[in-house]
Amino acid sequence: MSHVPTGKPTGKEPAGLRYPTNGKTIYHRPLNRSKTAELSQSSFAYLFSEMVTYAQRRVTGIQELEKRLNNQGHPIGLKLLDLLLIREPARSQTRPLNIISLLQFIKMSLWQHLFGRQADRLEKSSNPDTPDEYMIIDNEPLVNAYISVPREMSQLNCAAYVAGIVEGVCDGAAFPARVTAHSVGGNEDGEMWPGKTVFLLKFQPEVLEREALIASKV
Amino acid sequence: MMSASKASRLGEEIWKTRIDKVNSELVVLTYGTIVAQLCKDFDSDYVEVNKQLDKMGYNIGLRLIEDYLAKSNTMRRCANFRETAEMIAKVGFKIFLNITPTITNWTSDSKQFSLVFDENPLADFVELPDDGRAQDELWFSNILCGVLRGALEMVQMQVEAHFISDVLRGNDTTEMRISLIRYIDDELPPEDD
Amino acid sequence: MSYYFAIIGTQDNPLFEYEFGTSKQGGDGQAHFNDQARHLNQFVLHSSLDIVEEVQWTNGQSYLKAIDKFFNNYISCFITGSNVKLLLLHQPPSSPGGGASGLGAAASTRSSTSIAANPTSPQTEEAVKNFFTEAYENYVKATMSPFYRANMEIRNPVFRARVVAAGRKYL
Repeated sequence: MSHVPTGKPTGKEPAGLRYPTNGKTIYHRPLNRSKTAELSQSSFAYLFSEMVTYAQRRVTGIQELEKRLNNQGHPIGLKLLDLLLIREPARSQTRPLNIISLLQFIKMSLWQHLFGRQADRLEKSSNPDTPDEYMIIDNEPLVNAYISVPREMSQLNCAAYVAGIVEGVCDGAAFPARVTAHSVGGNEDGEMWPGKTVFLLKFQPEVLEREALIASKV
Repeated sequence: MMSASKASRLGEEIWKTRIDKVNSELVVLTYGTIVAQLCKDFDSDYVEVNKQLDKMGYNIGLRLIEDYLAKSNTMRRCANFRETAEMIAKVGFKIFLNITPTITNWTSDSKQFSLVFDENPLADFVELPDDGRAQDELWFSNILCGVLRGALEMVQMQVEAHFISDVLRGNDTTEMRISLIRYIDDELPPEDD
Repeated sequence: MSYYFAIIGTQDNPLFEYEFGTSKQGGDGQAHFNDQARHLNQFVLHSSLDIVEEVQWTNGQSYLKAIDKFFNNYISCFITGSNVKLLLLHQPPSSPGGGASGLGAAASTRSSTSIAANPTSPQTEEAVKNFFTEAYENYVKATMSPFYRANMEIRNPVFRARVVAAGRKYL
């Protein structure tokens, strides 16, 4: 337990923000206002590619770049987790309690909100050595559709940004995981989904332990 | 010359029929994470963050103009800077951000005007850090200045653009000032930034 | 009734605190904790976090209702999607540690259904839920800002005013 300060002012009060004379603040804006609002896809593409270009200048390799994109997505996952839950009707406003319901939430609610459609598939690792691994498969990630990756960076998967968002959702929901994006589309002609990406979720051991414990109690 | 109402109809028409769309919150949250990252990387040196945002916007502008020209089908040059302003506000902003800022405060020589943003999707959800500086130094939406500078340069106009007020700073309006510096002669290559 | 409300981050760190009292049934909205109780409140609230961590995995609702009782203190909990806890300690006026003077006639028996007197009545449960829901909505608004990082303290006075208003409205 950390130290709890008393309820009295601590002496490090905020300097205080100024607000317009109409008094409007973020607290006056209904959370649903932009729920269904739209912007042009190219605006997203321009911003996203600037983000990648900028990140590229501050790293030395592709792994570091992907890590950075992941980091930039992470806080968004945390925010969206609460935002999407609070927008659910009270009755279905339930927190995910196990890995499957968490994955369903990501595949359906998160994908639907961000990309206008669900992710294509969920899979559990069939390898008995890695029971902690799950996969979310997107045949055509939006972030890859609009970004032309320079040749020298051909291994880069910009979906690392989305992986970061997913990781933020998992961490926030108390299912700490490492999430990475992997291109599996291949480059042969006639390939149906050249941008196909697997998001690999590797949950921390405590998640599986907890899951086993809860299952044993039911 | 294209009238204001005609530009407005054109913008609406393109937005409705020729624009692929995404959920605005994907764009808004992505922009937010970009600005937050810059503030972190530059250790809350907001003046530098403004510069970086302007630079990013400039790069975007250089590429976006082609998209804009193709979508709006206006191969003809604007007759004058007033028409340019109409096209920026009612077509450009409409088709990329689905907003139409108000054009106002022209100087008598028609070389400077303001765009007033009643809505600014980039600022959705945003509250500036309460550190006693951000509200005086950071122009959160500064990327838009760069976009205009870059895009107009590609059509032979050198402009200067900066925000003079922002509701995020506690001002009553969000206003950007745009000044025409000069028309760039076709034979001269655009200046390197 | 005296209330102590706290938002607790995922590192068990306090993000926000506010103490207040009943506004319903003519209450003055003031908390009537004595110094000793006030000191204990934070301890009691934090002690209940262990129980939250058990209950949260058997109940997917956000509002977990009253989850703990320590002598005359009742703890209600609302847990957010990202595992931040909104906790409300309520102490009925008959509490020896509380001091009932401010509530006058409202300080009635436990059989009362009044929100001001009975911490476990269905009316109270509903009122606390409404209070939490409104506080949660404002919490989400605070955390949506790109400058908000996980587990940052919420020090915005507008946020505080909104929580105060929710307390007055429902409790």
